[in-house]
Amino acid sequence: MAATTNKSRLAWLGLTPFVLFAAAFELMPVVTLVRSSLSGGAGITLDNFARALTPNIIAAFGNSLYLSLTTAIGGTIFGTLVAYAIVTSPNAMLRHAVTALANVTANFGGAPLAFAFIITLGSTGFLTLLLGYVGIDLYPGFRIYSISGLGIAYIYFQTPLSILLVIPAMAGLRREWAEAAASLGATKLEYWRLIAIPMLAPAMLGSFFLLFANAFGAYATAWTLTGSDVNLVPVQIAALVRGEVVLDPELADALAVLSLIIMVICLFAYQHFARLLRRGQ
Amino acid sequence: MTLRVPSWRFWVLALFVLFMIVPVIATGLFSVATRWDRTLWPEGLTFAWWIKVTARSAFMTTLMNSIWAGTVSVLVSLVLVVPTTYLAHTRLPKAKPFLEFLSILPFALPGVVLALGLIRLYAKVPLPLINTPNILIAAYVIITLPFMYRAVINSLESIDTKSLTEAAQILGANPLQVLLRVIVPNIMPGVVNGSLLVFSAVFAEFVLANLLIGTRFKTFPIYLVEFTRSDARQASALALMSFAIAWLIALGVLWTAGQANKSRQVASRA
Repeated sequence: MAATTNKSRLAWLGLTPFVLFAAAFELMPVVTLVRSSLSGGAGITLDNFARALTPNIIAAFGNSLYLSLTTAIGGTIFGTLVAYAIVTSPNAMLRHAVTALANVTANFGGAPLAFAFIITLGSTGFLTLLLGYVGIDLYPGFRIYSISGLGIAYIYFQTPLSILLVIPAMAGLRREWAEAAASLGATKLEYWRLIAIPMLAPAMLGSFFLLFANAFGAYATAWTLTGSDVNLVPVQIAALVRGEVVLDPELADALAVLSLIIMVICLFAYQHFARLLRRGQ
Repeated sequence: MTLRVPSWRFWVLALFVLFMIVPVIATGLFSVATRWDRTLWPEGLTFAWWIKVTARSAFMTTLMNSIWAGTVSVLVSLVLVVPTTYLAHTRLPKAKPFLEFLSILPFALPGVVLALGLIRLYAKVPLPLINTPNILIAAYVIITLPFMYRAVINSLESIDTKSLTEAAQILGANPLQVLLRVIVPNIMPGVVNGSLLVFSAVFAEFVLANLLIGTRFKTFPIYLVEFTRSDARQASALALMSFAIAWLIALGVLWTAGQANKSRQVASRA
């Protein structure tokens, strides 16, 4: 008996290197930010948060939430359509090729992607020139270096991620069900409204929340494409880290904690729907 | 064979495939174009930009720095995650939710937030951390924890660790031998899969490299961003290289994931 307790104690001891590493570089940085954001002249205070919410920062949150919301919805809807087209395609080679493409492009992002969009949709970009030839002038109405340009670049990496998240749920959607529904007199619309959408809802909602967090935390694409022209939360935090703005560490910490709260909510929501999905299968 | 109107499926897939490949092809063409800003097609083709950008000493340095950072992050992650996950899986199921939590939390940690937290925590600590590659590697191991942990735990759950461990112990193996010579070979496809995901993420990472050490240790993505501001043609060659590397690694990831699935099926049939 004593030997087994000793052994299990030894086993717990075996976890220490990992736990120490995670504490030092994962948990402690977060704890430091939370504590410092709540600290003020005397004890715990929300002062820093009140101070952080200047019109400029509120605008940054507005832009970030808008960009995350639109690209998460757009990416999920487009991704679901493509996933449905893949799953129902009779051509096995096509199915594999497009799934592999989604797998590869889900890893494209950051600086190279932002640059590829400058080449494609910049003022002398390939698509801009092509559209000009057929009489559609993108510029000056549209700019790739703006928030809508950023939205297009974000949709690029959001869509394949959504495809990969939704495809497993599609496999659960059996072809016979559509036939069964039709033979019972259901219209196509009723089939979608009453059977397919409820079946796919957890996967689509899970995808929405993961994509939302993915966009909200993204910095490299925005920085390469627009520098600090588009006012976003990660751009603001990075500027504070570089000390470009007045040195006020507690202010930066409050901003970081606010975005952490948004990310954690998204992650919990994603986990919740992922669990629903696993139970359903 | 009669000509028929393509279905909605064709249009959706065509739109997706075009959207995914046009920016990449445009970047590739731009990198070999003499001039391409007033005509629909490049005015001429040249390899000058590729030769120019790869001839710089900074090109090799930054490429090597990124390969080094990726390799070291993978090794540190393997040493930390594999034994810990094995221990938790076989001996300490109570520790699993805690590991689960630690390995999902990085998804909620944007690069800018982690960088700020690390700087605020360690800026004044007299250890060789801030402004050195050490802190960068540590941050990389943390942000890639979800990939490595998932890959290792999925592999462990797919094999019968208990029987394998007992069999090896009966044959006189010590715990380290059990892990290295029995368990690891059995979870190899999963481990390779996780390692490739970690390497790919680290190789392309920009935010932490930019904020934690800046110009003192330049990585490939940092070099690329510098060029996007100064010379678009050379930047396009670098961007295409990044795509090619990400593409190669992603194919490796797909292939090893297929291998891991295959061995899982064999294991479950046995």
